[in-house]
Amino acid sequence: MADDRTAAYAAALFEVAQGEQDLARVEDELFTVANRVRTNDALRDALTDQSLPVDLRQGIVEDLLGGRASPTTTNLVSMIVGAGRAKDLPAIIEGFLERSAGSRSETLAEVTSAVPLDADQQQRLAEALSKRVGHKVSLKVTVDPSIRGGLIAQVGDTVIDGSVRSRLEQLKTQLQESR
Amino acid sequence: MQNLFLLAAEAAPGEAVTSHNPIIPELGELVYSLIAFAVLIILFKKFGFNAVQKAMADRTKRIRTDLDQAESAKGEAEGILSDYKKQLADAKAESNRIIDEARQQAEKVKADVLESANKEVADLKAKATQDIETARTAALASLQTSVASIAIELAEKVVEKNLDRDTNKRLIDSFIAKVGS
Repeated sequence: MADDRTAAYAAALFEVAQGEQDLARVEDELFTVANRVRTNDALRDALTDQSLPVDLRQGIVEDLLGGRASPTTTNLVSMIVGAGRAKDLPAIIEGFLERSAGSRSETLAEVTSAVPLDADQQQRLAEALSKRVGHKVSLKVTVDPSIRGGLIAQVGDTVIDGSVRSRLEQLKTQLQESR
Repeated sequence: MQNLFLLAAEAAPGEAVTSHNPIIPELGELVYSLIAFAVLIILFKKFGFNAVQKAMADRTKRIRTDLDQAESAKGEAEGILSDYKKQLADAKAESNRIIDEARQQAEKVKADVLESANKEVADLKAKATQDIETARTAALASLQTSVASIAIELAEKVVEKNLDRDTNKRLIDSFIAKVGS
């Protein structure tokens, strides 16, 4: 039931956003919002707090995105928060991005990097991932210094983890298991 | 006897000595005595002998009866004695059996207690060994974890110190090359 609702909201978002001239910008902005909500506990708690009036929660969205993001992005996020679905916002946006990529015959590829990737790196990475999965990918990059270095790429259910953090964790596990 | 000698001495001086023995009665007296004795015998045989014989027979019978009774009583007493001896032997055997049983039971109890004590000691020893092994394993694991944590902390510090932008770029390029290969 929750998945159906999430898919329905994702479809609604896509219907609204595909009319926009700059769909890629909306995608990037929504992807950024999803990452912020996923990683920022205080923001997530504020947006999902049912005891707060809807106007106040939507006001938080306006304060955060107003002037920084496109009006479409701001309105879509505000609509989801106003519907009381802020808890599912990351999943809804992910569904939207997959649907949007699918409309271009692409697969969504979520990449996490410790540092921002330049255009050349993004292009080469998109080509490499496209070659790996067998069809074109739509790259969405998240900067997360906690992975320390390297990259983590997720395409569908496939995760390719080349981060320094995971290598350190593997090393730690090997040290703990070795006798 | 002394009187006879005195009578003989008195007679000696006055008259002629005849060969008459004072002990042997006169013939007539002897005949009368024999007849009287025979009459006495006949009378005794006729009137007293049967009674005496009967008395003797009764006495003999009574003595025999008494002897038989005594014999019977003796046999009975011997039987009772035998019974008593048998009962005594049985009682002794029973007491020996009870003592043996008690001894066996005591031995069994002793063996059981000993076995139980041995088992308890073995269990305690095994548990102590297991506890020691568990503690040793836990200590080793804890030490291993600590060593691993320290090693990882050192590795992280080394990584942080050496992972500059160029190094990160090489890592990213290497990742892209591997994914695309």
